[in-house]
Amino acid sequence: MFNIKSKDNGIITYSDLKKPSIRIFYYVLFAVCIIITLISIAPPVWVFLSSFKDIKEFTLEPSLIPKSFDFSRFVKTWNDLKFVKYYINSFYSVAGSVVCAIVFNGLLAYAISILKPKGSKFIYGLILGSLMVPATTSVVPLFINLSKMHLNGTFYPLWLSIGANAFYIVLYKQFFDTLPASIIEAAKIDGCNNWQIFFKIVMPLSKPITMVIAMYAVNAAWSDFLLPYLLLNNSGHETIMVRLFQFRTSIKATDVEVLRAIVFAIIPPIILFTLFQKQITQSNTHSGVKG
Amino acid sequence: MLQVSNKETRKFKIPGVIKKNISGWLIMAPTLILFAFFVWEPLLASIRLSLYSAKGMRTEEFVGLKNYIDVFHHPDFFPAVRNTFSYTIWSLLIGFLVPIIMAVIINEMVYAKGLFRVGIYFPNIVPGLATVMMWAFIFRPGKTGVLNIILGNIGAQPQVWLSNPKLTIPLIVLTMTWKGAGATALIYLAALQGINPELYEAAIIDGAGIWKRIVHVTVPNLRNLIRSLLILQVISVFQILYEPLVMTNGGPNNASISIMQLVFKYAFEKFDYPKAAAVSVIISLFLVTLTAVYNKFSKEQDI
Repeated sequence: MFNIKSKDNGIITYSDLKKPSIRIFYYVLFAVCIIITLISIAPPVWVFLSSFKDIKEFTLEPSLIPKSFDFSRFVKTWNDLKFVKYYINSFYSVAGSVVCAIVFNGLLAYAISILKPKGSKFIYGLILGSLMVPATTSVVPLFINLSKMHLNGTFYPLWLSIGANAFYIVLYKQFFDTLPASIIEAAKIDGCNNWQIFFKIVMPLSKPITMVIAMYAVNAAWSDFLLPYLLLNNSGHETIMVRLFQFRTSIKATDVEVLRAIVFAIIPPIILFTLFQKQITQSNTHSGVKG
Repeated sequence: MLQVSNKETRKFKIPGVIKKNISGWLIMAPTLILFAFFVWEPLLASIRLSLYSAKGMRTEEFVGLKNYIDVFHHPDFFPAVRNTFSYTIWSLLIGFLVPIIMAVIINEMVYAKGLFRVGIYFPNIVPGLATVMMWAFIFRPGKTGVLNIILGNIGAQPQVWLSNPKLTIPLIVLTMTWKGAGATALIYLAALQGINPELYEAAIIDGAGIWKRIVHVTVPNLRNLIRSLLILQVISVFQILYEPLVMTNGGPNNASISIMQLVFKYAFEKFDYPKAAAVSVIISLFLVTLTAVYNKFSKEQDI
């Protein structure tokens, strides 16, 4: 198979691998890794392959691989189900959410970490505390409040709600804590006020963590379903996820059309993931251990 | 002129300490308003709402614990509680060990480690709703279901999968594990990479085999992380909602209905908001108590 020339970390050492039995065991583990990876990517691949079938082929000839690869079927479903509109709605919702996630959570973390006004420790405690309370408790009264304010059918609640995210605040605060105090002092001496320090000094220095939070926010806003469903259903502003859920409840569509809709819903996050996979997988490990 | 204005400003100059605090609070204010509106107020309002009767969205009069009693007596309540515990237990059996094992194995790899990391994280970027709809196709009964196609290829009988009440919950948990395990495994991987190699060397000098190294070095070093991820997983699985909602709608015959689904049904199908609030308060009380007991228990273990 392949030769392992050195191995300097982990439980199994290089000298263990000289024993044939352990070597075979190690190859088995390698195979297990390959199988796990295949299981991780197989279901979306199947969805993608199956959406090349037409409905006859899908129901009558159960097989994993389609007979032909005809992209015009995707185009047809895209037009039939008017997916342009849902894409635009989703992009709109994502764009506003990312801006709010960065500005609002960044500002609060900046105050807690750098300005430290009296009482900010208590506020940080409250915010950490709201991480522990199950989020679902607030859904019902929040929905009632939003309805009373006639915010149904608008994107504002979706944008603003991500501006109050305790997890992003923790991430930002941990990053701001590592910024050298001398730079901020220097800016103060140069006559910057606190807002200018945030937008001109702190944020430009915090690009790495902002990238991470932006990616989290994109993914969260794109995948979010409950609040968008409650606010946007039947309003003409449905996002992709609301549209997907409608297949389950109200609108009839053929199986292959549903499959193609799933493909449309997955493609943007996959593009984002391929572009930024290194940052995403690494940030996940960092944030996880700290948070 | 200049002198006068100087005098003026000195007179009304706000002390630096207060100025610093005011400016800090001004910067915090917008986000705090959002927190109050989206997180804190609804939390308190939920408790209040659960003690009142209501017509639509307007609360009418204080009814004490009546909503709670009504909720307890609803025929769906007991199945929902039982199922939610069942989800939690299955997710600990399947979903909890899988990421740890995945991380330990991948950490041993010399080749293709990066590929495996990216591969196992991939399901996490698939939106949750798309994930459950996709797996509904995979578990579909009849010959178009993916698993049945695979069974057919090896000559076995097709199964009904999710429609079999004994399999419903484990299969839904399997779907959740597929989506979540990779991201959790990466957290464990980071912790594994943080283990000091000298600990393993010392264990080897003491003559520890591979199994003993896992028991005496790997597991103790992961213990704190395992402890906090365990309670986080219980909290999140306890609030399971859209997986059963989309995959089975609680069926067959209430075999997979969850407590959060009761909230959803009360609020957005029957428009009985006080009862929905009552159920969500019950969930929160349970989870907060559980977390407190768990933290106390795990702290005692430390000593």
